[in-house]
Amino acid sequence: MTAMAPATSTAVQARTKRNGQRYLRPPGALPESEFVSRCIHCGQCGEVCPNRCINYFGFENGLTSLDTPYITPREKACILCMKCGEVCPSGAIQPVRRTIPAITEGVRMGRAQVDKQLCLSYQGKTCGVCYRACPLPDLALRVGMLEQPEVLDACVGCGLCERSCIQMPQAIRIIPAHTQTGEVL
Amino acid sequence: MTRQTIDSASGWRHLNKVRWLTLVLVFALLIILPFFHVYQTYVAAHAYDLLAPGERKLYDIIETLTAPFVDDPSRDLDVIKGNTWSGRLFGVKMSDPLAVAGQMAAGRNVYNPFLLTALFPVVATLIFGRFFCGWLCPANLLYELNTNLRILLGRFGVRTGRRCLDPKLKYIVLGVGLLICGISGSVLVAAVYPPAILGRELYYAVAQRGMGVGALFFVATVLFDLLVARRGFCRYLCPGGALYSLLGRFRVLRIQRNVVTCNDCTKCNSVCEFGLNPLRDDFGQECNNCTACIAVCPVDALGFRWRITDTPNQGPGHESPRYRRDHKDKRQVFGNANSKA
Repeated sequence: MTAMAPATSTAVQARTKRNGQRYLRPPGALPESEFVSRCIHCGQCGEVCPNRCINYFGFENGLTSLDTPYITPREKACILCMKCGEVCPSGAIQPVRRTIPAITEGVRMGRAQVDKQLCLSYQGKTCGVCYRACPLPDLALRVGMLEQPEVLDACVGCGLCERSCIQMPQAIRIIPAHTQTGEVL
Repeated sequence: MTRQTIDSASGWRHLNKVRWLTLVLVFALLIILPFFHVYQTYVAAHAYDLLAPGERKLYDIIETLTAPFVDDPSRDLDVIKGNTWSGRLFGVKMSDPLAVAGQMAAGRNVYNPFLLTALFPVVATLIFGRFFCGWLCPANLLYELNTNLRILLGRFGVRTGRRCLDPKLKYIVLGVGLLICGISGSVLVAAVYPPAILGRELYYAVAQRGMGVGALFFVATVLFDLLVARRGFCRYLCPGGALYSLLGRFRVLRIQRNVVTCNDCTKCNSVCEFGLNPLRDDFGQECNNCTACIAVCPVDALGFRWRITDTPNQGPGHESPRYRRDHKDKRQVFGNANSKA
């Protein structure tokens, strides 16, 4: 057992390292492992993205993620235009209609999480920028007293709140769907 | 005096020029389309005033070029999108058969809408054989230019690789590639397939953060062609080429030699990029109908026929010195018969 311990820890380390980068898959993407098996690395989702928020992995997320699309919300977040699902030929990104019910139903990129220690509104300085940036206000994000944000269940994880947060580092960030479920990590 | 022309095949020889035009056009599109995409993002952002001077220049150029043809650049320019791996042409999605095969292996399932996107390429391959390789593949353009470079280097006395490997090797690459897709659960064949790589890397170079590892792989294939085997990657290693070869094995349209007009000059054999043997009617499933042999034939003895199989072993061309020597008497009879008629 003692001999096994270092091996296990390195395996865990390798996994953690592989997922060290927090990234989102494009809106409408299937769950991570299924997404990776469906994606044919054609690059059309990025080519159609009017916001140019979709980037492509090299080797940094492992060989299986090579040339697959990802979004770093703090750099540039998804505006939920739903064009990538429309062009995706292999259904790795499922087509989702651009209506609020369809988006809250079909998009599962992640979920926002507020760090109350960092959030200005929770520290007594009324801010509310994240709420103004949210494409699903009062469905995904609600503000209470002093514009204190509270994430609701309809949050799809587009990342516009994280992108717009004026704190450095950001006080609101998206926890990607594939790390929430514990499927990958 | 007795040359018989079974049909006038002389028109076929111009097809090679059309082919070069197609290759250049496809390659140019792969460069232009990402620029269109960048331009479309500027249009969508309505932020002309915020563009950097270089971006504004790009905007102006593309606007001038496309304005006569499109009313709404943010949508109209979508008519042709994607690349040679998978793309859209006037709303029709098309994908490389290898993409579908790889996805089926990786996901171990069949997704019908995706399967349909390969329908047109597969049907076209069943008819025209491995034509994609010769007519559309953007890598083929560079590989053929690479062959010209090899000839140029040869003139300066630089030695280039001329090894011959087994063409069946690429079927093993295809099988192993699909197996790796299945094991890893990711469509990794896309990483070793030049048309997919070039489409992607050119897009990365224009609209993303610059070329990635795929570009290095492509350079390696070019060096392989130059230093190891002439057109080696396509002939011996390309997994997509292997799939196209298998699909095009019983292609309906194929090049055939007219043995009566052939003079055995061997130009077709030396010009064939894939090292095939048109002179002895050996095209097989490797032939990509590129028409280079047709274009080079001085007596128009090569042309297209609607046939499922090659006509093997027709023997030496009837205009060759050897055939004339061996068949002197028969030709005499032949000539007499003609002169009577």
